[in-house]
Amino acid sequence: MRSIGARSTDPGLLVLTSLADGPKHGYAITLDIEQLSGVKLGPGTLYGALSRLEGRGLIEALPAEDRRRPYRLTGAGSAALAQELQTLERVARRGLERLRVAGAMR
Amino acid sequence: MTRRLADWSLWLYPLAFRRRYGEELRALLDGSSPRPVAVLDLLRGALAAHLRPKDTVSGCVDSGDRMRASMSAQLACWVLFAAAGFGFYNTTEDAPFTAAGHAHPVLAGAHVAIQVIAVLASGAVLAGALPLIVAALNQARRQPGLRRLVSLPPLAVLVFAGLTGMLVAVAHSEPARHTGSSGGIVFLAWGLAGLACGAICVLGARAALFVVPVPRWRLVTAFVCGTLVTAAMTAIALATAVYAIDLFADAAPLAASANGPLQLVSTGASLAVQLTVMLLAATLAVTTTQRGWRALARN
Repeated sequence: MRSIGARSTDPGLLVLTSLADGPKHGYAITLDIEQLSGVKLGPGTLYGALSRLEGRGLIEALPAEDRRRPYRLTGAGSAALAQELQTLERVARRGLERLRVAGAMR
Repeated sequence: MTRRLADWSLWLYPLAFRRRYGEELRALLDGSSPRPVAVLDLLRGALAAHLRPKDTVSGCVDSGDRMRASMSAQLACWVLFAAAGFGFYNTTEDAPFTAAGHAHPVLAGAHVAIQVIAVLASGAVLAGALPLIVAALNQARRQPGLRRLVSLPPLAVLVFAGLTGMLVAVAHSEPARHTGSSGGIVFLAWGLAGLACGAICVLGARAALFVVPVPRWRLVTAFVCGTLVTAAMTAIALATAVYAIDLFADAAPLAASANGPLQLVSTGASLAVQLTVMLLAATLAVTTTQRGWRALARN
């Protein structure tokens, strides 16, 4: 099946989703995202996303544990994630309904 | 091997990014066995971090270290630029180009402008580097462990000067034997050795710059000189573009004539490659200089 460059595999959204159930460090985020979506984020992509999200105030770093630093969602991050997921849910629901009506899904 | 490549890739990230996320990235790599695709991902990430620097990480580097990073990047750009500039000089030094210059004032003007600005820029490099070299030598006298590091850049310059002296001596002793392809191969080898010496000089100077304590005014002075060198690189690249365009417009047969060390490409193609390298080096120098000034304005 061809990929359509879905928004749902955007590294920023995946990282926010991974942090939705509590703080995690880089390695744990990578594993969680792989289990969650099947997408394996490379180290450069992961830290690019973390840096971007931190810059936008959507996540914050907690004190480092050994060499690893956990990250957690900020209030703004939780709100942005909720809004994004609701939009995706609405789009997904309507898209699936339309496919059903058109008979493309059995 | 892949793990080592991944570690090296981390060095390609901007200083501020490395200070903020470097240890975490290393810990992440330690926890997994990176595959080649992870190295590519790191390289892409490093490029993105350079192209889109984040304000959140810029605070991880104080203005002094930012200036140090900018100056070593300016030096690296200058070495690359000088290599392309020497190629330009070598391409356009022969009699037909002098004759074309006499016939077309724009060609002559651009050529003279390039040489004058190059001399001024070399002066600015020296003026900026000398106070730092003096500080490094003083520190090395007090701290013997630093001597090897501090001696690395001048050693690289001396090796290159020695190689150049040998090349010139051989070329003058038997000019007839060193023309054509053998001369071209020797010239190419000399150019590659020059780039290697330049890389050692830049890396050594960068490492020394970060460990030698330097008064702030000396750093700022050197950074101002680096800014002048950056402006000179931009001006030379523009003058080279004017020269190349005018050569194509007014002396097309000369632009189409065979050139380069092995006479494999045309003068026009040689100039295009040199101009591309110059523009790349000048653009990188402008970017890093802007970051240095931004950090200086913040503190």
